[in-house]
Amino acid sequence: MTTVLIADDSETILLLMRTRLELAGYEVETAADGQEVVDRIDPGSDQSPDLLLLDAMMPRKSGIDALRELRAAGVKTPALIVSAHQTPDDADAPADLEISGYLTKPIDFDALLAAIAELTAKKAA
Amino acid sequence: MIGVGRLIVQRQDYENAIERSYQREMAARVQLAEGTNPARARATIRREEANRAHLRDSISGDTRDTVILVGAGLIAGLLGALLLFVGLVTAMRRPLEALVAAAGRLAGGDRSARVEVGGVSEVATLGKAFNEMAAELELEASERDRLDRMKDEFVLTASHELRSPLTSVQGFAELLMMDRDSLTPRQVETVEIILDNCRHLVRLLNDLLDLARSDAGRLSIRPQPTRLGPLMEDVVRTMRAQTEASHQSLNERIDPDLPLVNVEADRIRQILLNLITNAHEYSPEGASIQLGARVADNAVVISVTDNGPGIPAAQLEHIFERFVRGDAGLTQRVGGTGLGLAISKSLVELHGGTISVVSEVGRGSTFTVVLPIAGPAAVEATPPGPPAISEAGRR
Repeated sequence: MTTVLIADDSETILLLMRTRLELAGYEVETAADGQEVVDRIDPGSDQSPDLLLLDAMMPRKSGIDALRELRAAGVKTPALIVSAHQTPDDADAPADLEISGYLTKPIDFDALLAAIAELTAKKAA
Repeated sequence: MIGVGRLIVQRQDYENAIERSYQREMAARVQLAEGTNPARARATIRREEANRAHLRDSISGDTRDTVILVGAGLIAGLLGALLLFVGLVTAMRRPLEALVAAAGRLAGGDRSARVEVGGVSEVATLGKAFNEMAAELELEASERDRLDRMKDEFVLTASHELRSPLTSVQGFAELLMMDRDSLTPRQVETVEIILDNCRHLVRLLNDLLDLARSDAGRLSIRPQPTRLGPLMEDVVRTMRAQTEASHQSLNERIDPDLPLVNVEADRIRQILLNLITNAHEYSPEGASIQLGARVADNAVVISVTDNGPGIPAAQLEHIFERFVRGDAGLTQRVGGTGLGLAISKSLVELHGGTISVVSEVGRGSTFTVVLPIAGPAAVEATPPGPPAISEAGRR
């Protein structure tokens, strides 16, 4: 079962994304900010989620900062960033963090689901 | 002056003395001619000749002395004046040079440029005034920077804040649509209307954000060598459903030899969609729209032509400004925001290109976009960022 970890500071958005992803057959974990994401992921264990879907802007710690910490700790999980901008600049989606793609809100779920399928199939294969 | 005056007096004395000498000689010659005391007469004549020779030498010497004196005086005066002048200029030059240099730095953006106040009093005053002006400018500039940063932060925050509830409204409406089989037709229609308006809101939000960023000079593009042919064909395919629904014809005439052009594909797509959507929305049923692309000089020239109602000259002038829309009476379904052309213009110009329009009421309009093949000037090759996960981003 492919697990996706979603992080967003809005409960409504988390509910929306959980509903859509579960309907598409994924298992979903949620986090409310970047710190929870970092706490949730243990670099050594193989119980980690198969994909990260992170909101760029969150209180306490942003998705970008959380990803930076995870990458520094050697976590290779593919990550998608939800950015506030139509076309992100380097602040939203830095090239050196191995971000597999970015989305803007409102989320195009057809495109998102297609991307998740592609990224997690690659991992399984 | 004194020397010259004295010389004049000396010459006068000399003339007088010469004259008296001649008179004495004359008298002696008369004596000689009369025969009275010839020896004495001759002696007088000889004495007067010698006298005059002596006087001539004397006056020559005096004249020469005076000329030398006057000459020396003039030269000394000139030298003195020269020295004074050079001294003054030097005293002024350094502070003036410093002032010019500081003004140059200030104009170049260095708000900390100041001068040391010194030199001749007027120059010192100038220096003080300059320093005061520079201090004022520095204050104003940092105030402006502060306001700019506030505006940018506001735009970013507002954009983020508005997008989240918008995501929820659209997302949950889409979820409803996934259950359309268990909805009544009226309910389905309701949800469709909600979704339509969500999309309109999203377009408006994106347009506003683009414009705000453009204002702040923060709208940027990442140009890559791009094949325009397939991109334009893709846009036409996207628009065809809508034009066909209005029985409009949409054709393309794209030069097969278009070179790779340094542009950001998504933004060119955005511009083309804007132009074709306008042609579609402002032209009546049965109209024809043509998209063309050809090479000219170091650029690709793209045109969108329609045979719709055309744009009156008064409106044409302002058509690339914000919130300017066409006559709503002629449109079938105006879904636009009035910002499309303003943004298209900003985007075209970011690419180093130009956008223009010619139109005739009753005949139609042609919008022309010229894009330099090399892309915008002074752009270093930026590596492409992570890909966009979206309808438009899918390649």
